[in-house]
Amino acid sequence: MLFDPSILVPHLGFLGAGALLTVEACALALLGSLAVGAGIAMARTSASAALRKAAAAYVDIFRNVPFIVQLFFFYYGLPEIGLYIDAFTTGVIALSIAGGAFASDVIRSGILAIDTGVIDAAQVSGLSRRVIFTKIVLPIALRTSVRPLGSVLINLILTSSILSTITLNELTGSAKIVAADTFRPFEVYAVLLVIYAALTYAVSIAINLLHRRQNRHLGGEVA
Amino acid sequence: MIKVEGVGKKFDGVTVLDGVDLTIEPGEVVSILGASGSGKSTLIRCINGLEKLDEGRITVDGFDVAKPKELAEARKRSGTVFQLFNLYPHMTALQNVTLAPIEVLKRPRAEAETEGRALLASVGLGDRADAYPAQLSGGQRQRVGICRALAMKPRYLLLDEVTSALDPEMTAEVLNILAKLAKQGTTMLFVTHEIAFARGISDRIVFLDKGKLAVDLPTERFFAEDGGLANPRVAQFLSKMRKD
Amino acid sequence: MRYADFTWYDLVLLAQGLGVSLGLFAVTSLFGLALGTVWAVIRYYGVPALTPVIAFVAELLKNSPVLVQLFLVFFGFPAFFKLNVTPVEAAIVTLTGNTAAFIYVVAVAAIDSIGRDQIEAARVSGLTRWQVLRRIIAPQAAAFAIGPLIGLMVNQLQVTSLISVIGVMDLTKIGAILNLRTLKPFIVWTAVGLLYYLAAKLIAGLGWRLERRLSAHSAWRGL
Repeated sequence: MLFDPSILVPHLGFLGAGALLTVEACALALLGSLAVGAGIAMARTSASAALRKAAAAYVDIFRNVPFIVQLFFFYYGLPEIGLYIDAFTTGVIALSIAGGAFASDVIRSGILAIDTGVIDAAQVSGLSRRVIFTKIVLPIALRTSVRPLGSVLINLILTSSILSTITLNELTGSAKIVAADTFRPFEVYAVLLVIYAALTYAVSIAINLLHRRQNRHLGGEVA
Repeated sequence: MIKVEGVGKKFDGVTVLDGVDLTIEPGEVVSILGASGSGKSTLIRCINGLEKLDEGRITVDGFDVAKPKELAEARKRSGTVFQLFNLYPHMTALQNVTLAPIEVLKRPRAEAETEGRALLASVGLGDRADAYPAQLSGGQRQRVGICRALAMKPRYLLLDEVTSALDPEMTAEVLNILAKLAKQGTTMLFVTHEIAFARGISDRIVFLDKGKLAVDLPTERFFAEDGGLANPRVAQFLSKMRKD
Repeated sequence: MRYADFTWYDLVLLAQGLGVSLGLFAVTSLFGLALGTVWAVIRYYGVPALTPVIAFVAELLKNSPVLVQLFLVFFGFPAFFKLNVTPVEAAIVTLTGNTAAFIYVVAVAAIDSIGRDQIEAARVSGLTRWQVLRRIIAPQAAAFAIGPLIGLMVNQLQVTSLISVIGVMDLTKIGAILNLRTLKPFIVWTAVGLLYYLAAKLIAGLGWRLERRLSAHSAWRGL
């Protein structure tokens, strides 16, 4: 039996729609992860021991429970308490919560690496804690964490394939349908593998470029 | 007026400041001299609230720096320039200068930027306002640091060894600007190793020895044989500094 | 007749599911460890044709979703190679390959961390390549690799949850069955999540104990 990827050609549009859904979900989940991650990182570096413990517990739980279990928890559980959300939104929420746990580690490292002198200068200028965090700490931490946050994004892209198990027709979900239609699962999934690898490769290149752009301004002065 | 009363501070059981009394009146230029480890920087960091006092009291225009709400008021009245500049690396020179006026004094952005540019121009950085710290030399960064402190129109300027991290050429740049400020009547509290400079612009010299305030005299009295130099520690210190 | 309530037997089911998950985790980790190490050794000796192929395959496996890899093996292989592949077989093959790719990266870093001068000294004093590998490289590389390996293993445990999608009766699959029967997703998925969490902590704990023993026995204290 020959390897014939050309059978995929008539289905490229459909796969493209699935890919678009993946990109949308991951973009939103990235924003969600950054927001959650920044909040958790702030809690973990806070002066309050209770906040620190709660945040550490959050990260511990969501890094040691498989994503698919988390996803099913939300997807099947939320309707039970009266929240009827569609699969896409549920998926984005679940990805943001899980991604946020990983992002918070990255952002926390970024925060801890900030030159304390810079914080001193901010404090003696009379800036409030909120302003110091949002205008100084977070922007610096995010800029220095571009590479590891890129890994979080790549992770999100790969994990998003699991959303196919809750009937979302993102890239993997669409591919399953195409495999069933063409009776050529090997070609379909082999090509799918390469598409994902190419996608993550493209993202890592973009991240490297972004990292270099940030470093031009910062010039290694930060940490 | 900055009033330091009976201030004591320990780090890990080591006494860094011991019963320090000091008063700074508006318009005065006071230099704090002393060997490394004598507590000079710590004293400044206590005045601007970066370090907590173990003993004693510091008030800035009556505001007690130990009380959080009063500390905020005290910080509005004093500006600090740091040895290592401590500029916000992700912001341009202009943004560094205008951040606090906009956020703390609630000045409108346009107004803050106009004043900021004027300040930067007055120290010779008019054309570098949109540069990032990484693109500036050490001397330029420190000048931005000075502008950042001045932008808040502080009553008191605290300067913590602000030229120690600069080479001689840049040091001269910065000292010139500080001399100008002193002439204009800005109240300044220097911690410095630049003895000649201190002698040139200060009204008063304070000498810290192992955390204690050993000498507090008007400048020329400090350098007189029967004044400051009568103190053996001062004489020792000055001769060592001259040798370097 | 459908029993919609929980019974004590459900605990047995969960235990069985956990056993399947852990069993497959252990088997694939061992195989993956062996395979990944072999790949790293091949790279170390610079075998001409194999090295770039291994590098490419490892990159592909690391940067594509495990779910898609599972589909490729479980659905694709039977269609393409005319083989019969059971869910468990597909799971073992896929997870071994995926684990091996990550082990490969860690092993390469571990081997590279050993200074060439040591190797040269050993070779010059007459030790064969095999002896150098066994007595100089392996112990030091192992001590170096333990830290990253623990994190990797905990992650691979999470990954096993995906084999439920191709029908293996692991802990997640049992959870899905219980969920469908009792319609109590919060209880079911929390229980499943808790079991995975405890298993992850167990593995990490064992890993750190092993690390202490390895450090104690090897003369090299590590970085």
